Amino acid sequence: ETEEEAQEATFNFKAYLLQKANSVNKALDKAVSLKDPIKIHEAMRYSLLAGGKRVRPILCIAACELVGGLESMAMPSACAVEMIHTMSLIHDDLPCMDNDDLRRGKPTNHKVFGEDVAILAGDALLAFAFEHIATATIGVPPSKIIRVVGELARVIGSEGLVAGQVVDIGSTGLSDVGLEELEFIHLHKTAALLEGSVVIGAIAGGGSDEQIEKLRKFARCIGLLFQVVDDILDVTKSSQELGKTAGKDLLADKTTYPKLMGLEKSREFAEELRKEALDQLSEFDPNKAAPLISLTNYIAFRQN
Amino acid sequence: SMLSTPSKQFDLRTYWTTLIGEINQKLDEAIPIAYPERIYEAMRYSVLAKGAKRAPPVMCVAACELFGGHRHAAFPTACALEMVHAASLIHDDLPSMDDDLVRRGRPTNHAVFGVDMAVLAGDALFPLGFEHIVSQTPPELVPETRLLRVIAEIARAVGSTGMAAGQFLDLEGDASVEFVQEKKFGEMAECSAVCGGLLGGAEDEEIERLRKYGRAVGVLYQVVDDVLEAKSKRERGEVWSKRSKSYAGVFGIDRALEWAQELRSKAIAQLDGLERHGDRVTPLYSFVDHAMYRGFVVGGDQTATVVDQDASTSQA
Repeated sequence: ETEEEAQEATFNFKAYLLQKANSVNKALDKAVSLKDPIKIHEAMRYSLLAGGKRVRPILCIAACELVGGLESMAMPSACAVEMIHTMSLIHDDLPCMDNDDLRRGKPTNHKVFGEDVAILAGDALLAFAFEHIATATIGVPPSKIIRVVGELARVIGSEGLVAGQVVDIGSTGLSDVGLEELEFIHLHKTAALLEGSVVIGAIAGGGSDEQIEKLRKFARCIGLLFQVVDDILDVTKSSQELGKTAGKDLLADKTTYPKLMGLEKSREFAEELRKEALDQLSEFDPNKAAPLISLTNYIAFRQN
Repeated sequence: SMLSTPSKQFDLRTYWTTLIGEINQKLDEAIPIAYPERIYEAMRYSVLAKGAKRAPPVMCVAACELFGGHRHAAFPTACALEMVHAASLIHDDLPSMDDDLVRRGRPTNHAVFGVDMAVLAGDALFPLGFEHIVSQTPPELVPETRLLRVIAEIARAVGSTGMAAGQFLDLEGDASVEFVQEKKFGEMAECSAVCGGLLGGAEDEEIERLRKYGRAVGVLYQVVDDVLEAKSKRERGEVWSKRSKSYAGVFGIDRALEWAQELRSKAIAQLDGLERHGDRVTPLYSFVDHAMYRGFVVGGDQTATVVDQDASTSQA
């Protein structure tokens, strides 16, 4: 623990996040330009460039750099995971799904552009994510780019992201959702893309199979950790502290970790996940692992 | 009369039937049912629709074989084309888009599985297509750089300047009917021919020919479909009421047939430039004939009506 704390003292995590988010934003802005038909591209850019912490692309770049790659090798993949993430949010917000009017304080895509354009903008972002990886990745052997494409496709489809959404839809309003099902939803809906982000970064950066698998395990842990902490915060914090409606999950009768295992056990589970995540990083160069170590602790100890 | 079909079409029928059988089997294997079952059922419902003509995958295989490529090099991409095409159509049919309840004589995906599941089935089929290409294409048959070009080509074709643009322009209603049809119906055929060519190792100049050829054939199919539909409506005394734009609906049957002839000539002109490949180009010619004359039944193609005398006489 003391070593980690010392590590964090010398590593300026905030500056790191800002700097990486900045390069990702620039790359996204450049990748998805305004062209004909203007309205679709406006809709794509509206949600893609709406801010957000860029956690997934930063994880992708951090994993790439951890295994010895350059930021530029992972940037197209990093942009691609953000495009996919954005696409899933646009479709998730649709009236036929969660029917949300607001996202990050702004009207949702379909509220601004209409449902038809929102669906198409999502589809276009999904397609473009793959086009971008295939055409814009430089300095990475083609065999590895192919592997990146396969990995990303797997984690966002019916074995990954979509599976999580399907089970989530099926469980909404049900009172007997078990721990196993809850874990399935989070591992697929949230953790899968986080896993994909880390893994494709490691592939693009030239990581060994062993390194890639360690980072895969790492990503699964922090994906679940993210959700457990989210659930805990929803119970323990006020709306003001969270910047969103607290207790929303309880009101919506959603199954959460505190509901299923109690607050204390949820906290213990979060701590286990944090340790397991950090364990996966223990054999890497601690200087290079600093961003991912800090990210893990940030996810675990965040207050909103 | 042009109603009699050239002899080569008999071979073609076997060629198509064999390929369709293989493609159907591979598609069936590519989408096994797993947990959560409902999403796989929704995906399978649209991809494995009985009687599908499988024109995109057959064109892809034919273009690959044209350049001496092995058909096994093309099968995974051929299947992927059906997956992404199905995804596009599922989303196009949604209530907020074309609001169609019937496609090819059966209920649309959302009519059976619900709008939420239909959105997700599409969202899952796009990536499945890419995953299928990457995991199933034999590496000894296709160099990785070619595979990357195939992936980029498919992504472009379904994306914001391709089919998604076509759907958008159709809904918006401002663009010309020719442009909308090129995007909505030309892209898939263009992409199918180009992917086949890439997999078979075609030169860049030949890829460009396939691009123009495919685009013309894709639109030709649709124009002739629209003519057939307009005629049957006319015979039944019905008024053209389709929401999406049709050339026959907008300009009338005669002008649509003239345009069909133009498209046919365009497609054939491109193939004439590929004659150094000899007989292997025959299957690609057959698409043009089939699109135009529907002289033989393929798969579950129930509209095997020949475009009548107007078409054949104007073809000098």
